[in-house]
Amino acid sequence: MHMFIFQNERFDNMLELNNVSAGYDGFDVINNISLNIKYGENLCILGPNGCGKSTLIKAIAGLIPSTGQILMDNENVGKMNRHEIARKIAVMNQISSVYFSYSIYETVLLGRYVHMKGPFKQPTEYDEDCVDRCLKAVELYDIKDKQISTLSGGQLQRVFLARTLAQEPNIILLDEPTNHLDLRYQTELIDYLNEWSKDGKHSVVGVLHDINLALTLGDKFVLLEEGSIASYGNAETAVTVEKLDKVFNMDVVSYMLNSLGKWKTIATQ
Amino acid sequence: MGIGIGSVSVNFRDTTSILMHKIFSRPLPDHIPDASVSIVWSLRIPRTLLAFIVGGALSVSGAVMQSVLKNPLASSYTLGVSSGASVGAGIVILTGFTIPFLGGFTLPLFGLIFGLLTVFIVVSFTEKIDRNMSNNTIVLVGMVFSLFVNAILTLMSALGRDHIQQLIFWQMGSFSSREWSSLIILFPIMLVCVLILMRYTRELDLLTFGEEQASAVGVDTNKVKWILLGLSAALTGSSISFVGVIGFIDLVAPHIVRKVFGSTHRIVIPMSILVGGAFMVICDLVARTIVSPTELPVGSVTALVGAPFFAYVYFSKRKV
Repeated sequence: MHMFIFQNERFDNMLELNNVSAGYDGFDVINNISLNIKYGENLCILGPNGCGKSTLIKAIAGLIPSTGQILMDNENVGKMNRHEIARKIAVMNQISSVYFSYSIYETVLLGRYVHMKGPFKQPTEYDEDCVDRCLKAVELYDIKDKQISTLSGGQLQRVFLARTLAQEPNIILLDEPTNHLDLRYQTELIDYLNEWSKDGKHSVVGVLHDINLALTLGDKFVLLEEGSIASYGNAETAVTVEKLDKVFNMDVVSYMLNSLGKWKTIATQ
Repeated sequence: MGIGIGSVSVNFRDTTSILMHKIFSRPLPDHIPDASVSIVWSLRIPRTLLAFIVGGALSVSGAVMQSVLKNPLASSYTLGVSSGASVGAGIVILTGFTIPFLGGFTLPLFGLIFGLLTVFIVVSFTEKIDRNMSNNTIVLVGMVFSLFVNAILTLMSALGRDHIQQLIFWQMGSFSSREWSSLIILFPIMLVCVLILMRYTRELDLLTFGEEQASAVGVDTNKVKWILLGLSAALTGSSISFVGVIGFIDLVAPHIVRKVFGSTHRIVIPMSILVGGAFMVICDLVARTIVSPTELPVGSVTALVGAPFFAYVYFSKRKV
């Protein structure tokens, strides 16, 4: 363990998991997960329903207790408090219903929570600039005063993306964030995140149901099967025909090729 | 207005004169009888102010509970504050026990302690069985515990038939026979609680998006929950221990405020005080004038207004 962490020091491994197990009510859903990501690398987690993808995301974010070791910039996440974690790690997940309505601007401003200081947490000029920038990035700046209760699922998802970006984390954990988005915004989200991480200061760890999107986003892949790693590595080594077939219990590649064939027919018509 | 109207009515101009006389030592016009002066100054004013403070405190407490538990129908009563306080009050009423020097304040003190104790037990028990202190568990434990404590209360009333009327009246809530002394105790409690709450408005905003999201953005959810539930219980507990159980206002006022001013807690909390306070003054006014000279318990008035509103919120939610 390093005793001193300097602000600008960049460690080889941004995120490192050593034998991490985690679950709910004493039952482990994921077992002995070990992996690592460097700055600028994106990792995608693939697997069928119930294989522990979301659990892994929650464990990395420190939202559920885990055993083993999770290191963020060589610092043990298990020993950090929520405030310290949130300055480095942001989570964007499937949105549930909105109970009380806020304006888009107010919602995104809440992403600045860990950066706001003082007893009453008044936003500084920098906070406000940051919110404006994030709103422009997701093309919601023009309607920033609209109430979020009046938005469509896709717009709401972009509000939460803006809030996640406003948090200015080093790493964004995605938990199936594309559920409410149409095709255009799905691809835009992935493109945006790719651009965001490729500056070498950020990374994305994503759980995406859509394997196509995952392949676009990921540099590294983890295939999970019943809570354990079935394969891990880059696209060539980790995402193979037999691994996909085994993990998803279906002929994934044939299915994809079949639909590709249909697209080819559409394209030539 | 709340000050002027009552069994003995004093008109608005006279009321103002009396206020000016007492506060700024202005000379009193000759035509105002001494009786009016003492009615206004010793009874109506403290009563109206007390109604305002209690209404405000209950509304703020309700607003906080609704946001923390992410449940538009939650209130301190859900966690058993009122049941606990009632048992405390019941013990005092039945045994006739008074703490030396405190005299009449024994009842409010016991109510407050028992109310807070109930919430403390509910939340600690929840933390024991559910490490994440999820809202559903809190509400469920609160409900079960309330029922249990209510059973104790029923048992107590059955055993002490002689005092049953006094207990029932306390439970219905009333601002009658309340003087300056209650105000002097209640006002600072409310002021302190609200000031601390104002520090946690961002956390409250975040909690309405769900515990997990709030945690992910950097809120120490469990700690903040303890603080907020505690403050909220203290506001309700101290209020109802002075005036009895007054329901629904804590449910209605925050909803109106959110509809009109949006959900940002920096605005919801101060506005809840104003709206809740004003609403309570009006309810108290209705309670003591509608079948004048008999006074209705104010709790029944708020419930009469509140119950239909409760139904409205419930059904309009289902349509969405």
